[in-house]
Amino acid sequence: MGATIAKLAERPNLWPWLLLTPLAIYLAIFFLVPLVNVAIMSVTEPRLTLANYERVLVGALYQRVFLNTFLTAGLVTLACLLVAYPLAYLMNHSSQRTAMMILLLVTMSFWTSFLVRTYAWMVLLGNNGPIIAFIKAIGIEIPPQLLFTRFSSTLAMVHILAPYMIMNIYSVMRKIDPVLIRSAESLGARGFALFRHVYLPLTAPGIANGCVLVFVICLGFYVTPVLLGSPREQMIAGLIGTQIEEFLAFGMGSAMAMVLLAVTLAILAIYHRRFGLDKLWG
Amino acid sequence: MDRFLRLIGFLVIIFIAAPLVIVVPISFSNARSLQFPPPGYWLGYYQAYFSDTDWLRPTFNSILIATATTVLTMVLVVPATFALVRHRFYGKSVADLMMLMPLAVPHIVMAVGYYSFLGNLRLVHTHMGVVLAHACLSVPIAFLVLSANLKGFDRNLERAAQSLGASPVQTFIHVTLPILRPGLFISALFAFIQSFDETVVAIFISGRDAETLPRKMFDSIRQEADPVIAVISTLLFAAVLLALLTPLAWSSIRKRLRKRPPAAAFSGG
Amino acid sequence: MTVRRNRAPFLLAPSRRSFLKASGAAVTTTLAMPYIAQAQENVLYINTWGGPWEEAAKQYIFDPFTTETGIEIRTVSPVSFAKLAQQVRTGTYEFDVTTLGAGELIRAEQAGLIEELEAPFDGGLFHNGIASHAFATVIAWRTDKFSDGGPQNWAEFWDVERFPGPRSLQRYPARVLPLALLADGVAPEDLYPLDIDRAFASLDRIKDHVLVWWTAGAQSTQILRDGEVDLIGIWHGRYFEAEDAGAPVAMTWNQGEIERAYWVVAKGTPNAENARKFVEFATSPEPLAGFVTQADYGPLNLAANEFISTEDAARMPTSPDNYPLTFEQEIDNFGADIEEVAQRFEEWLAS
Repeated sequence: MGATIAKLAERPNLWPWLLLTPLAIYLAIFFLVPLVNVAIMSVTEPRLTLANYERVLVGALYQRVFLNTFLTAGLVTLACLLVAYPLAYLMNHSSQRTAMMILLLVTMSFWTSFLVRTYAWMVLLGNNGPIIAFIKAIGIEIPPQLLFTRFSSTLAMVHILAPYMIMNIYSVMRKIDPVLIRSAESLGARGFALFRHVYLPLTAPGIANGCVLVFVICLGFYVTPVLLGSPREQMIAGLIGTQIEEFLAFGMGSAMAMVLLAVTLAILAIYHRRFGLDKLWG
Repeated sequence: MDRFLRLIGFLVIIFIAAPLVIVVPISFSNARSLQFPPPGYWLGYYQAYFSDTDWLRPTFNSILIATATTVLTMVLVVPATFALVRHRFYGKSVADLMMLMPLAVPHIVMAVGYYSFLGNLRLVHTHMGVVLAHACLSVPIAFLVLSANLKGFDRNLERAAQSLGASPVQTFIHVTLPILRPGLFISALFAFIQSFDETVVAIFISGRDAETLPRKMFDSIRQEADPVIAVISTLLFAAVLLALLTPLAWSSIRKRLRKRPPAAAFSGG
Repeated sequence: MTVRRNRAPFLLAPSRRSFLKASGAAVTTTLAMPYIAQAQENVLYINTWGGPWEEAAKQYIFDPFTTETGIEIRTVSPVSFAKLAQQVRTGTYEFDVTTLGAGELIRAEQAGLIEELEAPFDGGLFHNGIASHAFATVIAWRTDKFSDGGPQNWAEFWDVERFPGPRSLQRYPARVLPLALLADGVAPEDLYPLDIDRAFASLDRIKDHVLVWWTAGAQSTQILRDGEVDLIGIWHGRYFEAEDAGAPVAMTWNQGEIERAYWVVAKGTPNAENARKFVEFATSPEPLAGFVTQADYGPLNLAANEFISTEDAARMPTSPDNYPLTFEQEIDNFGADIEEVAQRFEEWLAS
């Protein structure tokens, strides 16, 4: 046994293939085949036709849902950035202990199931929840509707995805050499100039990483928009779910899924050429 | 500027913390509805969770499925990671990319695929079907963690062992494995959590017999906002808290006991 | 060290090793936990509406049935037409028996999703479903928002000036389109066949004010009880659940929309024989009387009326006092293809 392995180890060409084969076969059957299946269904259900794609790409409803999905994903990404950057900056400029506490909180949020967090926002934003109670307490008699609106689903998605952005930005920010900052300050860089010429370029990779990650995850988000959003502002994943679950319209559902997949992969491909895909989730 | 940033940072911290904290009092509330602050406190919904098979069965299913997923993932990923990190061969970059692909595909797309594919195989609504699907989604995560560990591995240790006369198998068991154990554990843990938390694919394929906890929670939140969800949320949150705080507490206790300078304590990691 | 820390940033890097040791024990325990497979013989899976519906059915139908036949009953909820269709497609059964409204029943029969059945009592068979009970979609409102009384008909429900506030209706066009026509001034006797375009035009007027399109009965109770909406079109049984929970709510039977629910057996289920036995049992006079009394439904097997007191009948949509105020669905005379209307409704909803 030992001798065989040793022998194999000497032949560098066979060994890696042997180690890779089980996983390759597995992914081929249980990852690629289902995906190909979606592609096939999109042109064969209910019969051999491209009509599903025509409807998805030309139909006013589907265009609107796609547009809404992109807008929401963009909004969530921007909001995550606005939330994450100051926090990362604060962590970088606090004592190690404070930074550690904040990191612990962010990590905790990251690890907490997003269903739990979605539910929590339902409690927070509901008509009997603390936020409405606060609004009433400061004298506004007819509080705004928060739950089941675009606002509630967007807010919850920002909360769910913010840790990705924070981790990404913080990890590049803490590598910035303090000497660099001090010398920039000694040269007269203050406030926005310091940010514009020192922080921004140095943290750009983290920002790019975080934005791509948040945007791509948000594009395919199902649970939170379905539970907290309004059916009038559906995102594409929710609509795919309705097509499959309510109408058993596998053709339409698959065609939408393929368009979503194409968009996602296109974004990731651009990222891959520029940075390398393995960096994204690292 | 700094004070302004501090204020924003403080608000962000509240924004992140509030949803995590709110579920705790709600879980002890005796109200049927999502009322805050709760009108009174009791343990009734905890009792309801621990005595209701409609909640316990999905919990149990989830643990079982996540465990099986972890085992399957690790069996497949560990050899593949060694191949990809330690060998150069034709087509390696494509293989590297393939490992990450399941992470790139939106879960809703996979859910549509599995729904019909596993349906054809008569594996919808079975534990086996969910495990097979979840393992695909866990592969890239386990791979990322493990390959990062393996890349940082000092191969001189293996060479030293072999030059002292150890066979490759002995070297692997006595040198490689013990050093990689933390990396293996973390990567298995990520695989487990990925499966345990996975919702979208489970909603579509787990069905009656293999219903997972996230699916049950999703259905319940959608239908009636059962207060038991707050109980489960609190328990899951407590588990995360415990998992993160235990090592912190442990290392600080150990530091105090051994009175070693912190730098030395981590030099081996 | 730094390289690795950056690659796995989501765990607190310095403490990773000890963290592992601590969690190891928990994982081992989990692995060692034996999995007990559940025996599945002599079990019938029934698709239920949950909540008070299921409580009543359990007490008066499921448990007595188990006592009589020894067949164990397990429940799956909520009721979903799509799941019924899905079962035939995948051949994996989540449930053997379910209840359907008339619209879905016809769809199911056309699509070959249900087993053929025989009438257990006179007039009990309709498109291979066994008539069980009648329920109504009624107008309900929060009395803390409308202390002077709520809308008394659908036109008033549509009147957002007189009754401002978030509303809710069911995400179910076959039930909602007739209401929209009533709101637009169509008389109940002239409803069918439905003028679909006019119904959608009427829905357009209220769309901005419908905060929630509810999809499950329990959800409708919850949003009314918790005050997430001020007005709702809700099944009467679900309304009484909110009222019984002490919520400040009121309802009217006026223009209540009556529908009939039918038991059906999923096509091709391995438990078809048990399922037939169950359906017959569930619609026999005594169990049905107990069930409808508890859940406030109207029995469709008239022989059950023998076992129902007049007091109890007052909460039923079919009682002599209530029935004249209501109207019935005429699904055979719907006026359009229900499937197409359902698609159009979803598209309208998303726009």
